[in-house]
Amino acid sequence: MFKKLTNPFTYIAGKKSLLIGLLVIFATSIVAFYSNTYFPDIISVKMGVDLSLISGVTQNFLNWIVVSLLFYLAAISLSKSKIRIVDIFGTQALARIPYFFVSLISFSEVIDLYGKYLLWVYMKHGEPIEITMVQKSIAVFFLFVSLLLTIWLVTLMFNAYKVAANLKGARLIASFIVIMIISMVVLTYLSPIILSMIK
Amino acid sequence: MIKKLPIVCPSCSSGLDVISLHCDACDTTVTGKFSLPVLLRLEKKEQDFILDFVRCSGSLKIMASQLKLSYPTVRNMLDELIIKIENLDQDV
Repeated sequence: MFKKLTNPFTYIAGKKSLLIGLLVIFATSIVAFYSNTYFPDIISVKMGVDLSLISGVTQNFLNWIVVSLLFYLAAISLSKSKIRIVDIFGTQALARIPYFFVSLISFSEVIDLYGKYLLWVYMKHGEPIEITMVQKSIAVFFLFVSLLLTIWLVTLMFNAYKVAANLKGARLIASFIVIMIISMVVLTYLSPIILSMIK
Repeated sequence: MIKKLPIVCPSCSSGLDVISLHCDACDTTVTGKFSLPVLLRLEKKEQDFILDFVRCSGSLKIMASQLKLSYPTVRNMLDELIIKIENLDQDV
């Protein structure tokens, strides 16, 4: 069960994972729109952000396309196996499933309230916020779950790349880390340009 | 019980050679020193993989669907087997 959750790509890849993955990204975008969640890059999450539906959908698909494309380029240059583009894009799309749950968590107003509370207590920013111990506990619990979901996402992305690119050892780990960093840098600059074009 | 063909020396872990072959029909025994072919120096599951691959007409897609595994997983298994066969060829 644990293996299926952390590495479903042993059993599913190609067109099937691409189709499910695209549905996951689309569903995440819809839920994130209603829960005011924004995913500015491949792993970052911002809660309480007002963004149009089209911008949210575009950003989420852009995150997936950029990282998949970089993984594909790395795979064809580093792997000795015959790499299929559909496996890289399909498995990376399916790997984004944890963020569907993150966008659901954001429906809870407690996290937003706790964020405002922390801003007031530590930075004297905003207005004074009253928050109960129960609300604090719920917020910390949800933040912890979000952290676990992020770890799950990175694990899925790593295993997706490992299976689809057939890489091992230092070559796999080094290229994965480098691509994750490059993706975040590329998305930091590319996202505002793309989003301004569709506004 | 199906006996497993030993391919590795239990004492020093080196590859084994064949010293004698026997015909059950006429009770003839041939002795000599024969190296095991590459295919017989593979593990049983690797031999089964090759047989499955041939039975599937060399189609990884069909094989993946029969083994209920993804296409890249089966391709990775094949690629690892190719590397092992190349290494065994070099050892000969």
